[in-house]
Amino acid sequence: MQRMVIQRIFIGIITLWVVSVLVFVGTSVLPGDVAQIVLGQAATPETLAAYRAENGLDQPLYMQYATWLGGMFTGNLGISKAGGASISSLIGGRFANTMFLAGVVAIISVPLSVVLGLLAAMYPATWIDRVLTFGTLSLISVPDFFIATFMVLIFAVNLGWLPAIANVSPDDTMLETIQASAMPLITLIIVVSAQMIRMTRAGILNVMNSPYIEMSILKGVTRNRIITRHAFYNAIGPIVNVIALNLAYLVSGVVIVETIFAYPGLAKLMIDGVQTRDLPLVQACAMIFCGTYVVLIILSDVAAILSNPRLRNPK
Amino acid sequence: MTDSKKILPTIDNMSGMDREAIKTRLSRGASRREVMGWLMAGGATIAAAGSIVSSATSAMAATPKKGGKITFASDLHGPSDTLDPGLNTSTIDYSRGRAHYNSLVQFNDDTSTRPELAEEYSANGDNTEWTFKLRKDVKFHDGSAFSADDVIFSMNRHYGEASTSVAKTLVADVTEWVKVDNHTVKAVMAGPNGDLPKILATSNFKIIKDGTTDFQNPVGTGPFKLKTFQQGVRSQHVRNDDYWREGANVDELEIFAITDKVARTSALLSGDIDLMQALDPKAVPQIEAAPGVGIWSVASGAYIGIAMMSNSAPGNNPDFVLAMKYLQRREKIVRSILKGQGTIGNDQPINVAYGPDFCADLPIRDHDLDKAKFHLEKSGVTEAEIQVAEVAPGTTDICLLMQREAQKIGLKLNINKVPNDGYWGAVWMKTPINVTTWNMRPTANVMMNLAFAPDAPWNDSLWANERMGQLLVESRAVTDAGLRHEMYCEMQTLIHSESGMIIPAHRNYLDAKSDKVEGITRMPLGSLGGYEWPEFAYRTDV
Amino acid sequence: MTDKTANTEEISIYDELPDVPPKKKIRLTWVGKLGVTVVIFWLIMVFIGPYVAPFHEADIIAYDSFMPVWSETEGEGFHVLGTDYIERDILSRVLWGARTTIGISFIATLLAYLVGVTLGIGAAVAGGWVDMAFSRVNDAILSLPSIMLGLLIVVALGTSIPILILTAGVIYAASVYRIARALGQDIMVMDFVEAARARGEGMWYIITREVLPNAIMPLATDFGLRLVFVVLFISSLSFLGLGIQPPMADWGSMVRQNLDGLGYGSYAAVWPALAIASFTISINLIVDDISASEGGSLARKMIS
Repeated sequence: MQRMVIQRIFIGIITLWVVSVLVFVGTSVLPGDVAQIVLGQAATPETLAAYRAENGLDQPLYMQYATWLGGMFTGNLGISKAGGASISSLIGGRFANTMFLAGVVAIISVPLSVVLGLLAAMYPATWIDRVLTFGTLSLISVPDFFIATFMVLIFAVNLGWLPAIANVSPDDTMLETIQASAMPLITLIIVVSAQMIRMTRAGILNVMNSPYIEMSILKGVTRNRIITRHAFYNAIGPIVNVIALNLAYLVSGVVIVETIFAYPGLAKLMIDGVQTRDLPLVQACAMIFCGTYVVLIILSDVAAILSNPRLRNPK
Repeated sequence: MTDSKKILPTIDNMSGMDREAIKTRLSRGASRREVMGWLMAGGATIAAAGSIVSSATSAMAATPKKGGKITFASDLHGPSDTLDPGLNTSTIDYSRGRAHYNSLVQFNDDTSTRPELAEEYSANGDNTEWTFKLRKDVKFHDGSAFSADDVIFSMNRHYGEASTSVAKTLVADVTEWVKVDNHTVKAVMAGPNGDLPKILATSNFKIIKDGTTDFQNPVGTGPFKLKTFQQGVRSQHVRNDDYWREGANVDELEIFAITDKVARTSALLSGDIDLMQALDPKAVPQIEAAPGVGIWSVASGAYIGIAMMSNSAPGNNPDFVLAMKYLQRREKIVRSILKGQGTIGNDQPINVAYGPDFCADLPIRDHDLDKAKFHLEKSGVTEAEIQVAEVAPGTTDICLLMQREAQKIGLKLNINKVPNDGYWGAVWMKTPINVTTWNMRPTANVMMNLAFAPDAPWNDSLWANERMGQLLVESRAVTDAGLRHEMYCEMQTLIHSESGMIIPAHRNYLDAKSDKVEGITRMPLGSLGGYEWPEFAYRTDV
Repeated sequence: MTDKTANTEEISIYDELPDVPPKKKIRLTWVGKLGVTVVIFWLIMVFIGPYVAPFHEADIIAYDSFMPVWSETEGEGFHVLGTDYIERDILSRVLWGARTTIGISFIATLLAYLVGVTLGIGAAVAGGWVDMAFSRVNDAILSLPSIMLGLLIVVALGTSIPILILTAGVIYAASVYRIARALGQDIMVMDFVEAARARGEGMWYIITREVLPNAIMPLATDFGLRLVFVVLFISSLSFLGLGIQPPMADWGSMVRQNLDGLGYGSYAAVWPALAIASFTISINLIVDDISASEGGSLARKMIS
């Protein structure tokens, strides 16, 4: 088992390296270079050349890659080519914001989804199940920007209960931060929970079809006891996996929510990086996203291995 | 442009004291007519006197209240946000620059200039040397005194191979900046240029402290001091209590961007922001219907254009170009797409916002499918492709409308929508038909020189007309108003009939604000009164 | 990394070497039947939508934008669902949009399946370093958020329809690969496959006769869900302005472009949102029914 965990970690590191190469090659083939985009309509050949020289953009690609990879190990992420600020300083505050958002959403939505998913699985085909199924289905079936905009109109513009934008600042107290980011929090909790409730329900119902559960039913164990004592533990592996993927999404994939609520997070930063062709910035963000994904998946794999005797001792 | 001085002789040279005197007289009950008479006796024309009085009365209309906080949301920000004036290219940069720095001279609402850090400025007889007398009472945010060295340093950053300034071409004709004494600098010109003050009043020529290299936390002389600045997140500014003049009304400014236009509008409606830049014309009815907010729409010479490159087919075919020009439903565009927040364009860049240089006699080219069909058939073109990015609100829709009209005369016009980012580098001026947009420039000559001079690097359609180049240079030295107008009319007619540019509409600078914020100017050279609001805006509810 | 290497619940209860398990018949509930009806309706619209629509999708006909439901433009006709932000008929655009939205998503999902299943099953069967190399590149693609990848590809190559299809196809091929590989591995260790191996059958026989027939049902069900994700993915690209070209109507960008109208009571953005929702919910309802009757192990694999 220990060997399997170490193997997973090793695979994770290889994945990180593959990502670094993919992202580096991928971003370098983008049309238009950073100098052109920073200077915009005002670019002339002279200003472009001056800008490139000033920012080391005239070096060959593999040199830029080597420099950057070396920098990663020493914790020096480089200088943003677009604005001249250090990338660590650009990422720092946003990383905290992103982790805050993902953390709070996870703390609320994970227990909520597991409980609701369990409920739906315990009483299948009842009104609880139907309401939950239809509700979650509706929520994952419309574009998230539609949900977000709709919520802003209701809660911020019409009712005036919550701020329309999540303009958080490091000076805010915890309470102020939560209040300021209420709208993105609610939106994400809705979107993420809907997905997780569905998967929890499906995972448990799936286990319920297994022969050994049928055996328990034949032995006369009550359905609720089967679900809470047997099915749930056997469904932990897949459920944890769904949770891990949703957490990874919360860290890296929430660009639309960040855009609509002007929430200063990492996903939007990476989009900005793509738009300004700020390669070091894009690479740094990509590595953070990939790292998060790898760590979360390793954790979920370990949880799956622990909860599953067959995986503990593979054939 | 020597005669801009002739038309508006006293504004450029009027000292702050004179302006104070006008204000004082007005506040003591002098009528508008009396003050105008007093000004005109001093040599001002009616137009100039009128503009001075209006700007003084609007400033007088309500005494700005002190205190409170204004939150401003722009439309774009990102890692490239900068406080380096030479690199400023976006509204958010310009607004921050206005809060943090000062220029030598400043624009009035009619785009004439008035003193700012230079309390007096004047040219020699033939406009080949400009002398700026600097204020002596100005202090930087760190307490050090402002002097000629700071001006020389700030200006010299716009010259040389290594300069990254985006505005260097605008002052390329200044051969040397000379420090005359501690509070006087002189610009020595390569040729006559009466427009230098106007150029120096634009956003890229803010004055920074001598020797500045760190633009994360630079030192300025402006009405606000920097509290925090995070690229792509926000900046916070607090009032500079030692500011050298009135202004800096609010205690604090917060400047950031909400890139999603619907979210930006919602944030204004919900009261989370006080000022927003770039209101979508579609949202005008929503803002007008909502309590507590209003639009801030300033007619300007800014325009949306479609460029047909003269160096490739089909733009090199004059009949095709004419056909495309006749396809434009100009009134429909202004009414339906710009929702009335614009003015009809006549395929040339100068409109009434440029004042006397506008050629009103040039008839508008109406929508005419018969003529369009005639020229199209003559050209033999049956299919064309246009590259479209939403460079200004409504650009795509203008092209969609054109596409439908083209279909009616048998032209298959394909629209290729391309992303905004990278557009200026990869698509604009590099594909046969593309879209462009220009902000208004301080003078008609600067505008046409930038976009239509035969050798201009940003000549959108690569339209090279020798006569045009000749007129642009010659008109700068003409002092007779009649002859000048004739020359400007000829240039506008040339562009209208021969260039590859379609200019269907001029767009207003359309922004929105909370009713609780007043004091915003109407200078038409940029958003929210030409980015002048940080110093003059104030809250009415403090 | 995330593949489940064994299907633990399926403990064998057969005494002898088993053959392929018998197929179960799919029974649809009324909810499932409703889903089928809606999906069939939209599929018909894919083919006839443009012919039954009252106007052309690009026609700018009305005199006013954001006209309410059931209003009229004199001399032109009724706007059953009102007009959009530049005075086009919403109903016509929703009907035209069915072809664009469903068509593009369908082709993209098909592409994703072609690539993902081929490589996934191939990797599962081949094992060893091939599996390792494919899976690491696949992990790398999966670890980046799909919207970022989409943005990178579209920015690099432009926004033509073939490129949109290719983009969505490649991105979703990664998740299909994972499912196909996991399914393949599950089946490879099952008793009937081991039995076939013991009988000395060749690899090709095992893939076509044993692995694929057993993977087909879960894959088909997943296809439905994946299609939903692709529809929403292309909508998200529209949010960033990188979706389908105007004036072509696609539901996602219709929602996006008409969002402003929500603020003053126009339903222009609601109709295309309803179209997306009705289509995606229906597919999900069908999938729910199938997985309920299939009773199978597929929910776990549908993640991501």
